[in-house]
Amino acid sequence: MRLAADTPVSRNTDKRVAGALALGVHALFVLLLVFGVSWQTEHPAPVMVDLWQSLPAETSSPRAVSHPDPVKPGPKPVPKPAPVPKPVAEEPPPKAPDIALEKKRAETERQKKLKAIQQAEAKAREASARAEADALQKARDKQTEQKKQAMLRQMEADELKQSMVNEASANAARAAKQAEAQAAGARQAALSQTIGKYRDLISATVRGNTRLPDNLKGNPQVRCLVKVLPTGDVVSVRVTQSSGNAAYDAAVVRAIEKSSPLPLPTEREARAAFVPELSFTHRPQE
Amino acid sequence: MNPELGQDLSLLHLIWNASLPVQLVMLLLLGASLMSWWVIFIKLFALKRARQLTDQFEQEFWGGGDLNALYQRISSGRESVCEMGRIFEAGFREFIKLRGQPGQALSVILDGTRRAMRATYQRELDSLESHLSFLATVGSVSPYVGLFGTVWGIMIAFIGLSSVAQATLAQVAPGIAEALIATAMGLFAAIPAVVGYNRYTHDIDRLANRMESFMEEFSNILQRQVTKAV
Repeated sequence: MRLAADTPVSRNTDKRVAGALALGVHALFVLLLVFGVSWQTEHPAPVMVDLWQSLPAETSSPRAVSHPDPVKPGPKPVPKPAPVPKPVAEEPPPKAPDIALEKKRAETERQKKLKAIQQAEAKAREASARAEADALQKARDKQTEQKKQAMLRQMEADELKQSMVNEASANAARAAKQAEAQAAGARQAALSQTIGKYRDLISATVRGNTRLPDNLKGNPQVRCLVKVLPTGDVVSVRVTQSSGNAAYDAAVVRAIEKSSPLPLPTEREARAAFVPELSFTHRPQE
Repeated sequence: MNPELGQDLSLLHLIWNASLPVQLVMLLLLGASLMSWWVIFIKLFALKRARQLTDQFEQEFWGGGDLNALYQRISSGRESVCEMGRIFEAGFREFIKLRGQPGQALSVILDGTRRAMRATYQRELDSLESHLSFLATVGSVSPYVGLFGTVWGIMIAFIGLSSVAQATLAQVAPGIAEALIATAMGLFAAIPAVVGYNRYTHDIDRLANRMESFMEEFSNILQRQVTKAV
């Protein structure tokens, strides 16, 4: 019986030690769970396809160039191996003015880059085109045979059926635009692919959060203008084109607000299509 | 797919995003688990010490020393005393008192001594078994509490599912995962509590057996002394 005195003091230290041990057991368990078990899982996102009318929208500015869009087939069948832009005059007018407005910012940004590319890459080509133009101007005065030859050369270059552009200055401009389009073609395709992917993602997110009203009939379309921060947070949502069903409009607006923050691409160029404003078209079903 | 779009299913994230009732259940279970581990460790130390002291006391008692000297040492309170020592002290004190009174019959003295020892025995047993009922409660109830949290969480997950147009697994999975954490916590609290409860009741039973046999043997010794003296 020469053990340490079984006094209240030793009991208290017992309690303290026991408490520390209990905490230690729990801390150990939590650490084991957090670091030992991998809870990260990869969710394959559901594949959804939406048709976006605002994507291939074109402004009517003189610099506007039609870009081959893999998502939406153009109104005219364009030969695949070398997608050549059509003349500006033949371009269909913008489908809706609001789309043009929404896209304007992204468009102008892109145009600036395209301009830079043009200046950098198509300088030599432009020079040669100018020389060609001069020659053509002289040739036009002399005989029609030379003109025919010039036209033939033109068609060869264009690979298009159309051959109504006879004006030399127009020809030069066309050549420049062609070079520009070819240079930007690959980048543009990748960009539009990224944009399309994120449009699908946003659409899927919003669709998952949409609670359809009971009285909804058919598959009406509602178009909203969403103001977005670069972080993806939704600032405001405005219905630009009602579906005719106020309850459904409100449900879509709520769904978009609930989906905040929206998934946005990390690349600055692709993000320019979403920030600061994003046109959103929604249907109850695909 | 972009990794930043994948849902974060880390444990802390799940707990943080759980609905309020599920969070309350988890908190309750965490508290129960902490308390039961605390009790487990307290009892572990207390029973270990009780066993050691009892061994020492038995060695001393059966070592042939003077019982009077032993009684003096214990009743002075300078040493740590085991349960058996306190039973001995109570019995011996009662025995001395009754013996000091003249004209007491042998059976009366022995009965009084035995009663005093039994009262102390009950008290000591009670203090040994204190908090054990808490372990039993945690062990039996916390799985149900965890199950309640799970059922509630899954209920919420499915109610949320009814409000979306397209039900995907990704919409229910986080809810169910966070709900199942409640069951896991319930089991985590319950299993050590049940094991501890069973272990300690067994240990206390063995100590109680030793104390009871000591009481019988001590009564015999006292009876021998009285008859010898008479």
